[in-house]
Amino acid sequence: MKFILNYIRKETWSPYVAGILLGLVGILAVWASNSLLGASGAFETLAGLIGKALVPTFFDNLYFNFIMPPGLTYGLVMLVGLFFGGMLGAATSGTLKWGKKDAANSDEQWKRIFGPQTWKRWLLAFIGAIVLEYAAGIAGGCTSGLAISGGMLLAPAAFLFIAGMFASGILTTVLIYRQRY
Amino acid sequence: MSHLLIALILGIVFGFALNKAGLTKYHKIVNVFRFTDMAVLQFMMTALVVAMIGLYSLRAFGLIEFPNIPGTYIFGNLIGGLIFGVGMALTGY
Repeated sequence: MKFILNYIRKETWSPYVAGILLGLVGILAVWASNSLLGASGAFETLAGLIGKALVPTFFDNLYFNFIMPPGLTYGLVMLVGLFFGGMLGAATSGTLKWGKKDAANSDEQWKRIFGPQTWKRWLLAFIGAIVLEYAAGIAGGCTSGLAISGGMLLAPAAFLFIAGMFASGILTTVLIYRQRY
Repeated sequence: MSHLLIALILGIVFGFALNKAGLTKYHKIVNVFRFTDMAVLQFMMTALVVAMIGLYSLRAFGLIEFPNIPGTYIFGNLIGGLIFGVGMALTGY
């Protein structure tokens, strides 16, 4: 029991142990509610909710009416859970930097490559996130919704997605890092 | 309602596992593309193997039915993946 408690307080688990935990969550999602895990779809649901409230005519189209209908969906609640789950993980390992000075930009490797400016980190994260969400919309899911949830049901889509993701990910990293690769 | 409660609990455990595997950090995500830290792949593949074994054996015993699997559109999935990789390498999501 003490061993388990100490393990929970560790900042970084063995990826195999964390992977087993995620695998069990994946099984439970299908067993308890016949649904799959996912994260990116919830952002589209949220965008639909906000958009329909602000400019209803612009958001009155096929995509937001039928493919991603807004509302309090399973995915949206899961996204809220994801946020607090991540926070819980950081809190148990004592690395939750609530309001601390370097909390907004704390990755040493990122600073080495791009420089220490915080605004740069946030700008790049914003642009990158738009790219991510757009791509997830095209592919029909993100790393969790398509690659992991689809992969565990042996969906061909998941493996096509993983192949594409790694091909361009490696290429982009080579371009960014160049001789530091 | 219980449906949404399950989603919340599963989301929390999901986020917890991601955090503990270190996948909420930029350097973990990017270093898998540099082949210097394979934690992302180890994490993903372990989860896949565990879930595959669990799901297929539960279905074999007739305890569960599979939900609709994500649709296969060869170009959509592949091009989506290609653009996704760019964003992933930029943000470290």
